[in-house]
Amino acid sequence: MKQTKTQKVILVIIASIISLIFIFPLFWMFFTSFKGMAESISSARLLPRNWTTGNFVELFTVDAASAPIIRWLFNTAFISIGGTLLVIVTNTLAAYSIARLNLPAKRLFMFIIVASMTVPGIVIVFPRYFNFRDMGLLDTFAPLILPYAASTLGVFLIYSFLRNFPRDLEEAAYIDGANQLQILRHVVFPSIKPVIATLSVITFILIYNDFLWPLLVTNSAEMRTVTVGIANLVQGANFVNPGKMMASTLIATVPALLIFIFANRYFVKGVNSTGLK
Amino acid sequence: MKKLLMGTLLSSAVLLAACGNGDTGTTTDSEEIPEEAADATVIRFLNGFTGGDGAFMKEIVDNFNDSQDEYFVNESQEPEHYTQFRTGDYELVVMHGVNLETYSADGLIQPVDGILEDVGMSINDFHPAAEDLVGLEDGNYGIPLDIHPLTTFYNKNLTEEAPETYEDLVTLSAELQAENENMYAMGIPDSGLIEFYTLTLAAQNNVDLLSEDGRYLDFAQEDLADALWILHDMIYEDNISPAGLGIDGEFHAFMQDTEGDSGGNQTAVALTGPWYYQAVSDAYGDDLGIGSIPQLGDQVAVYGNSHVISLAASVEDEAMLEGISAFMEFMYQPENLSNWAASGQAPLHTETMNYIEENADEYPLPYQNQQMFDDYVAAPAVYQFGEQIRYMNETVIGRIVREENLTREELMEELENATGVAQEIADTAPNQ
Amino acid sequence: MKISKTVSSLMFLPFLLFFILFWMVPFLYGLYVSFHSWTVSGGNNGFVGLDNYIRILSPGNMYHDSFMNALGNTLYFVVISLVPLVVFALLLALLIENIPGKLKVFFRTVFFISYAVSVTAVSAIFKWLFTGNGGYINNVLEGFGLDSIGWLNNQPYAWIAVLAATVWWTIGYNMILFVNALDEVDASLYEAASLDGANAWERFWNVTFPSIKGVFVFVTIITVIASFNLYGQTLLITEGGPARSTMSLTMIIQNTIFSQNNLGMGSAMAILMGIIMVFITLVQFLIGFRKDDNA
Repeated sequence: MKQTKTQKVILVIIASIISLIFIFPLFWMFFTSFKGMAESISSARLLPRNWTTGNFVELFTVDAASAPIIRWLFNTAFISIGGTLLVIVTNTLAAYSIARLNLPAKRLFMFIIVASMTVPGIVIVFPRYFNFRDMGLLDTFAPLILPYAASTLGVFLIYSFLRNFPRDLEEAAYIDGANQLQILRHVVFPSIKPVIATLSVITFILIYNDFLWPLLVTNSAEMRTVTVGIANLVQGANFVNPGKMMASTLIATVPALLIFIFANRYFVKGVNSTGLK
Repeated sequence: MKKLLMGTLLSSAVLLAACGNGDTGTTTDSEEIPEEAADATVIRFLNGFTGGDGAFMKEIVDNFNDSQDEYFVNESQEPEHYTQFRTGDYELVVMHGVNLETYSADGLIQPVDGILEDVGMSINDFHPAAEDLVGLEDGNYGIPLDIHPLTTFYNKNLTEEAPETYEDLVTLSAELQAENENMYAMGIPDSGLIEFYTLTLAAQNNVDLLSEDGRYLDFAQEDLADALWILHDMIYEDNISPAGLGIDGEFHAFMQDTEGDSGGNQTAVALTGPWYYQAVSDAYGDDLGIGSIPQLGDQVAVYGNSHVISLAASVEDEAMLEGISAFMEFMYQPENLSNWAASGQAPLHTETMNYIEENADEYPLPYQNQQMFDDYVAAPAVYQFGEQIRYMNETVIGRIVREENLTREELMEELENATGVAQEIADTAPNQ
Repeated sequence: MKISKTVSSLMFLPFLLFFILFWMVPFLYGLYVSFHSWTVSGGNNGFVGLDNYIRILSPGNMYHDSFMNALGNTLYFVVISLVPLVVFALLLALLIENIPGKLKVFFRTVFFISYAVSVTAVSAIFKWLFTGNGGYINNVLEGFGLDSIGWLNNQPYAWIAVLAATVWWTIGYNMILFVNALDEVDASLYEAASLDGANAWERFWNVTFPSIKGVFVFVTIITVIASFNLYGQTLLITEGGPARSTMSLTMIIQNTIFSQNNLGMGSAMAILMGIIMVFITLVQFLIGFRKDDNA
């Protein structure tokens, strides 16, 4: 598909305009975090009239004792990475097994997996909370990581990807005497990398931004995730300070953004670039 | 490709190993209890003070923990603290006054009279308004902490003093309008804090919302319709408030940027929650005035919610009860409870009120608000108060405020719907 | 390839274990609860059979009224959100696919970035943008000499605000899935089509769309599911108002369980919601994969 230079320029201009719309709310978040309390509530201006770093200073001094943000960031990074790895490993194995291997009752499993995606999360949350409470595991990392591995989206995503994917290479490897695990690692995994990258980012952000579940299963300041901790700090009954809220949200969002920008380069490499076709 | 895969596997192995360490490392220190308090009786104290108030309560708790080593109060501040209380294990919990009936009916809290006795206090050590707040049929279900009534803030640049009557508001609004048509006396929100308005107006017009059998809120009263209609008049008849304000509109209109880069409506007065004190004083500084609630009905009266400290039904252990008594004895000393007043909350404890009276300059908001305690009217004690009044908050008042053409007949119909919901909620109470 | 059932099952086992422990068991527990009178604090008060379900489905009580109101609202949102979230996402993806090199990576990042913001912040931002009295958008409108609008407490404006927040927040998610799919489309197909003198629309309709149809159906399905689970935006931006018109099913269920302390009734509502959702998904699935199941 060849485009003329003019066409390209027009497309880039369109994309730039849309980008501005997309970035504007983030600009607001950024600039509001440098506004004082009264101004952040009442002003309709984007830029602060009086720039202040007071919100950030407060977060790291006055609130530091009850709100260890660095610790929260560590917790969040830890459970998000741990949870994502767990999801990737279990879901890849499962999807491969359904799509390619000789799994008994695979149609039934596939049905359950799709059906489970449609059941609202709220049905599950409460009973699961009681399960963890009865096991005495509240306020530990276990409930913050393990339940995410029950997510079925990834299985479905990888399965759909594999379904439309040629088997030739796998069969060649099989004839060469490779076993299933080797084929998965050396043949399949490299070619499904884009979908894995996508799933990783989606899962990572899902865990990173999850609110109700980590709120229920943690109750000490040390075990909070950054999303819950900050909500606790700035969203409590009768709290009004958009400036401070945006400052803390900015602190919480920046690591997620960095991770995303880093992971971004893995998105592009599709099948075509792996030379499989 | 192989390299990359190995790298991934290796790093995940490292991470998982770190996971093991992190796990054991944190479960031990997540307990927050310092070593020297290892033998102490731990009292788990739950509250919802996650906003600005939290630090002031924490100060009281920390001071208590430092003052002795027999007991340790482990405080949790949770945004969803009612849910946590229903499902978790805690000894002490801060409740809102309107929820006591519900939680005692559900068997989650027990009377605190024993504690009060241990401490050498009684309900008479509190402002008389306290009795209505915590007294249920078989005892007092909480130690009163504070009342946070509907509070009047005013902007001294726009009005020299707080309006006291409806006529004052009409005059003020006319004056402001003459100057600038975007200025009004005050703002009426269509939801949010509106529950405070409803109950204040009911109290000022002497409407008793409690049904005859004492189980539900009876909104379907002509007197209540009259009382609430004033909100409609304030917007569409007398131009006291701009039309179309939404959630928190009373506060946002009061806070409107005065330097003219917004085309919004500004008000001179806000009838709002005392928790906005920090924000309004940040905006107006010395130009901020705090007044009493204006009289909009037949008599002076004000409504607001309250915090009380309640005892979980599960607490039986003697040592625990002694510890709780010690903590309460400590907290209810004027020099300690005044910490709570420093957050802007108005304590009900008489000695502390006297202390605030003497130091009025230091505690301007609690000082002003405790003046209104004599006119305070508590909400009727019904099961699931918040759910019974929900339809009023979400639907009925919104229609009064938003719909210029609403008729009295439609209002009465909605009030009947609201009563219907309240009755249904009342029927869910246990042990009917 | 002949593969032993044991190896296949072993590979499936880790996922199955997690799924049973953290999904199946809680789900069956929730189902069990829905047949009982059950409070959050008091626990089980006895088996009531289908009573909870019958009350929700028969008119004349508050559970029925609030469930039906919320169901109507939620379905309305599903319908209005579908085109922006799916079609616009596809258009964005196509736009990105046609932008050269490094700029492509840049724009893809920009369009996806908002997904990393938590719902609390998204809601705070859009509440500020759409505030009726002196909000940003109204100021812009007034700057153009237009009347300001009470966005958050009048319909259909409240839905527009919620929709705008949702699209801004989640469209990047769908877009990335589409970008992934477009990357997989065989380039040689385009070349063949170009030689035939096909225009852009014909190329899209005859080559691109058939190749990404599976992903398109998948994105449609997960978008419907996500919109059906609408919660944070309406809770934090409109608080379900005006007059309960943006009250969503999840909000009602949350309220029934937490505020009304009625876990049995709330679970029954959630199960009903699940049944409706499974039905809708099934229909989409059948329509979407009708022809190409042997692909």
